[in-house]
Amino acid sequence: MLKGWSLIADALSHATVPGVAVAYMAGLPFSIGAFVSGGLAAIAILFIKQRSILKEDVAIGIIFTSFFAFGLFLLSLSPSSVDLQRILMGNILAIAPWDSFQMLVISFITLSFLILYWKDLLLVFFDEQQAWAVGINPNKLKILFFACLSATILAAMQTVGALLVIAVVVTPGATAYLLSDKFKHILFISVAIGGLSSLIGTYLSYFIDGATGAVIVCIQTICFAIAFLFAPKQGLFMPKKQRSQGSKEQYV
Amino acid sequence: MFDLSQLFSSGTVHALILPFSFDFMLQAFIVVLVISLPMAVLSCYIVLKGWSLMGDAIAHAVLPGIVLAYLLAIPLSIGAFAAGLCCAITTGFIKENSRLREDTIMGIVFSGMFAIGIILFHQANTELHLTHLLLGDVLGIQTSDVIETAFLAVLVLTVLIIRGRDLMLLIFDPQQAKITGINVQFWHYGFQVLLALTIVAALHAVGMILSVALLIIPGASALLVTKQFSRMIMLSSIIATGCSFFGVYLSFYIDSSPAATIVLLMALLCCSMFCFKLYADKKLVRSELAGHPH
Repeated sequence: MLKGWSLIADALSHATVPGVAVAYMAGLPFSIGAFVSGGLAAIAILFIKQRSILKEDVAIGIIFTSFFAFGLFLLSLSPSSVDLQRILMGNILAIAPWDSFQMLVISFITLSFLILYWKDLLLVFFDEQQAWAVGINPNKLKILFFACLSATILAAMQTVGALLVIAVVVTPGATAYLLSDKFKHILFISVAIGGLSSLIGTYLSYFIDGATGAVIVCIQTICFAIAFLFAPKQGLFMPKKQRSQGSKEQYV
Repeated sequence: MFDLSQLFSSGTVHALILPFSFDFMLQAFIVVLVISLPMAVLSCYIVLKGWSLMGDAIAHAVLPGIVLAYLLAIPLSIGAFAAGLCCAITTGFIKENSRLREDTIMGIVFSGMFAIGIILFHQANTELHLTHLLLGDVLGIQTSDVIETAFLAVLVLTVLIIRGRDLMLLIFDPQQAKITGINVQFWHYGFQVLLALTIVAALHAVGMILSVALLIIPGASALLVTKQFSRMIMLSSIIATGCSFFGVYLSFYIDSSPAATIVLLMALLCCSMFCFKLYADKKLVRSELAGHPH
């Protein structure tokens, strides 16, 4: 989130659709197809960005829409294969035990990677030059990070669907960033928000009989709105004094 | 000779013009061509400004507007337009009042609105098809929709033709634009209004998600091969209309989704242009190296 990669998550989640479609036709497990096409999309984005004058956001836009269109094209050619709505919206209530096992493994690997490397990652994100100087290879870490990201997105897709993945990846981090300055605190708060909102969201969706993924995202968005309005330092309403003081200090 | 003429008169030609003999196909052709022009022109501005994801955000954010409009029984486009505008304004407001990056804010706002839309949709039990909203339903389009789309498209195009130069200045050099007396703030939002209008117009034809593709790919492909703005607009219009036409035409024969076929054609074209550009650049470098031996 701090790196300005918010929309990569969105792009990757859209880009997995053709993978799912192909995997379905070939009778392979969904997750392999989704992972492969997500990886292809990530590589294509990096390649276009390096080799042409187009900006990164344009590259992301082109790649994910083309992948998505390709997926829809495949699906429209072979109707009645996969339930499109299920890919797009996710279906948390119909998750098979095998899927939840997959998800556990993915979460575990991602978490342990983040814990092992989080200092190096931090350095790469905030100061690439410095990272080179210290002897870390940023590209390698970036690729690893992307792999983790796409694995996580994959896991998230099955629960909230391709269209809402971005909210789950971005919103908790952004909310935490409004509340705190320290990276450690940000991580902690964001994990707390993510976990709690998923719990409450699932619980609520049982009562209002709504789409679970959407309810979770709504709760996270409400959290963000509250943080935006009332956060101690960055909030809009609370700290008029502090905010003006801060800006004065800047001028001085 | 006889064989040839017979072939043309009966088999091939008949098969080739078959799509034009259906009313729904004709309407689909008209709608797609009409909508692809303003989108192509807008896409040039978007690509240069680096606002590709703004289109994505607005396209997602229109969903709650559509569902609400359906519930209140007002025209769907009004609801969609209001929701798109709401998304743009919220994004701008949060950006000015916090330290988050614009892309993060967009992600939060549009996914939040989209989630609200989906919840409403599930609650409302409407007759709308979610897939039609998301992916468009160009073959089942009504005449009134065609008129509405054409009206919006003409409106956007007129504004772009009249105010195109100001917008261009705004994109390349906001400081300069301010000095010459253009209201930067106003046009910043004005541009987003145009964007929202175009997306609303494109809803019937290509759906929410693929309208994003139409707003990015033509401009990006044109930017790959030319550096002149007027030429870029021309090229992107040609790409957009050509791909739209052949996309619908092809989809008739291979029985695929028209919107997806259009975008796929565009992506293929863009890809081949990209490869061509790579090849040309390499050739250029090589000839320069050969011309100036060190």
